[in-house]
Amino acid sequence: MFEDIAPAKIGLEEWSRQFACVSDDLIRRYTYYGNNEWGIYLSPPATFMVYGARELKKLKYDNSLAALRLWGFTFNESERLFRARQNGMRVIATMGDLGTVPVIVMAFPSCIPFYPDCTWWTPFFNESTVLLDKASELGVPEASCFVRSSLAAFYKRAYFPKPEALFASTGASCDDYSALMQMVQDLGHDLTWLEIPYRRQRHEEDDPEEFCGTEQGYQYAARFDNYLANEYRRVWDKMRALTGNGDTAELKRSIRKANRLRRLVAKIKKTAGQASVAPFPALEMMVVEFGNLYGYGDIDEWTDIVEMVHNTVSERAAKGTGVLGPDAVPIAWITPTADPLLLNVAENLGARIVETEYVINQAHVEIDENIDPFLALARSFMNASLIGSTSERVRRIRDSVNQGRIKGVIISNMLGCSHCAMETRLIEEKLKDLPVLSIDVPAPMGITEQLRTRISAFMETLR
Amino acid sequence: MKDILTPRERFGLLVIDEKPDRCNVLPLVTSHAATVKGMRLRDYYTDGEKMARAQIAALETYGHDAVSIFSEVGIIAEAMGTEFEYPENDLPIQRKPVLEKCAIDDVECPDPINDGRLPVYMEAIEYAYDALGDRVPILAYVPAPFTTGMMLSNPNKFLIQTIREPEAVGRILDKSLRAAIDLCYHIIDKGGLPLIVDPLASSSVVSPATFRRYALPYERRLVQFLHRYDLDVILHICGDTAPILELLPETRADLISIDQVSLAKTQEVLSGKMRLIGNYDTSKLAFSAAEEIAREVREMVRLGMTTKKGYIAATGCEVPVHAPIPNVMAFVNAAKESGWYWV
Repeated sequence: MFEDIAPAKIGLEEWSRQFACVSDDLIRRYTYYGNNEWGIYLSPPATFMVYGARELKKLKYDNSLAALRLWGFTFNESERLFRARQNGMRVIATMGDLGTVPVIVMAFPSCIPFYPDCTWWTPFFNESTVLLDKASELGVPEASCFVRSSLAAFYKRAYFPKPEALFASTGASCDDYSALMQMVQDLGHDLTWLEIPYRRQRHEEDDPEEFCGTEQGYQYAARFDNYLANEYRRVWDKMRALTGNGDTAELKRSIRKANRLRRLVAKIKKTAGQASVAPFPALEMMVVEFGNLYGYGDIDEWTDIVEMVHNTVSERAAKGTGVLGPDAVPIAWITPTADPLLLNVAENLGARIVETEYVINQAHVEIDENIDPFLALARSFMNASLIGSTSERVRRIRDSVNQGRIKGVIISNMLGCSHCAMETRLIEEKLKDLPVLSIDVPAPMGITEQLRTRISAFMETLR
Repeated sequence: MKDILTPRERFGLLVIDEKPDRCNVLPLVTSHAATVKGMRLRDYYTDGEKMARAQIAALETYGHDAVSIFSEVGIIAEAMGTEFEYPENDLPIQRKPVLEKCAIDDVECPDPINDGRLPVYMEAIEYAYDALGDRVPILAYVPAPFTTGMMLSNPNKFLIQTIREPEAVGRILDKSLRAAIDLCYHIIDKGGLPLIVDPLASSSVVSPATFRRYALPYERRLVQFLHRYDLDVILHICGDTAPILELLPETRADLISIDQVSLAKTQEVLSGKMRLIGNYDTSKLAFSAAEEIAREVREMVRLGMTTKKGYIAATGCEVPVHAPIPNVMAFVNAAKESGWYWV
């Protein structure tokens, strides 16, 4: 039924009409954890609106079956985590590192990683201050990053089950987030902290022998390889103690799965970026990118969904069809927006997002399958977005500028997030020869006409 | 104790088989909301915004766990042509069933955006959802095909037809089902959770055999439609359901709301199969003292909470329009106080 549909972005009601044509067989075909009884997830956006995601009625979605699967699967995550625990699986919180610790967790049978930090999207999807208000009641200053909603989610125990283990990164990591995790610890959770090293470039006076580099060209002190590998071994040991298992062959298998997903996403990004018209919307592309962190807790099913996205994107690119007009202006987007609606707004105002820096570069690089797995994980993580200098972070954007692939940059700055607030100004400075618009992501329900006008005016200057 | 979760969060945990902070408390506050708001009933059921405002006022007064968009069970039949009278301070009264004017094949399925008072429901759902939808489930009551079928007809004639003209009844129910599905479809797009009500299918009205033959298959088909959306389906049958308890799982509803049947007996039959909602005697809300209500509700909740699949403390039927507000408060407060799962 979907094969002949011309690509388009459609609203929630249109999706419901389209969903009426989806057969029961198709609904039953896709399941999480391979469970046919309660693992169905192919639902239209309206289902999740009924359960409180109010922003969904404002969003526009890709009209493909791949997108339907993508949304159904990601919105189903909370239920999936509770079902996991009810069925004897272990739910493991992995926080702050964005993409590496889950690879270890997935090497243990029936262990499901998830990111409580990702609750930062919930107030926006729900158009709700419930979690933010609760975080304030619990003592988090209102001038903190929206990730503070995760503290409230821990407190409420209604968004994810109590994790059996929690791994939290600190050190060269987001400061607001680290402070919040300390408060999570105060709620009685037993956190295992990982120290994330800072990636400093080699200076002239440094001994070259003591430095090494990643395939992407990031330099760092060589001693961090072993240091970080040992941090990951601590995670491994903790998981072994928890589960009574631990086979490094499984870890290698988990790495291969992560790599397969990362390769697929890289191909999608490349194909989408080079297509004559945008074959897939920015919002769905962001969801695809973030899936690299942990496969939304079921990497096999998620990879299958991403395969379908890849096929959809490839077919559309080959036919020269897509979801935006050919005159959409190519731009880069830096820092993920907590409010998904902003990506819709930018596209509606004429933007086409062809390059992104969503602070998860570490989740996009392949992990070496031919060396010690812990060392491989450490080396892949040293490509991380947030552990180095601002110049390094925007290097890929800089390359795209130099290649003429983008005409401008939008930076979404998280109001109240001290790290983002400081770095936004630095990024503007690094890219000052290019039109740059930095916007503060407002609190839920805070996208104003003024903000739309600013984006609209910016797009006009790029045309 | 102070609530930890919002009603939305609480209901969300219940339907995925998790224990929330306390049991959900859902007195079926429908048209009674007009009394709370000090509003004439006709204003309540003819103006969507007023209906929603009354529901919000009731929620603020009682602190229960859901909004109930509803006035009476003839809403679909009315949109299909059955004529009603609208007293200023009473619920609509059926005057002339559409099937006394024409044949079922000539009756059109209604358009929920334009026909009858369905637009009132749509407006009420939308208003309530915009106001509270992030923290409170918005339940929109949908008459099941059997109940609508009877409202399309002269009820006596309809019941006789179930014996003498089963094919004719089938055609009425088929069309009623289509109308109910269309209505659900629009409710969902507005953010409401359809709650199926089939009061005229209760054993107070029809035999178990009639229920099994005519009501149940259409309830099941409506439930199946909602399950396509992966929604959790509530079925409410007021009146006596004791003779049909064992049939209720065949509807495939996820939650069953019961009225005049022993909660203990219902648990025996359904505890591991369906989540139970119920079932305080609503006449007591109208006529008993608040202290007595509180005592009985506490007993009911203690028993209800032992239901294996989960439990919602509720009234067996709609809260009477003119039930004293302190009595409804006594119900809600007693249910909340005695319904804690988290210590």
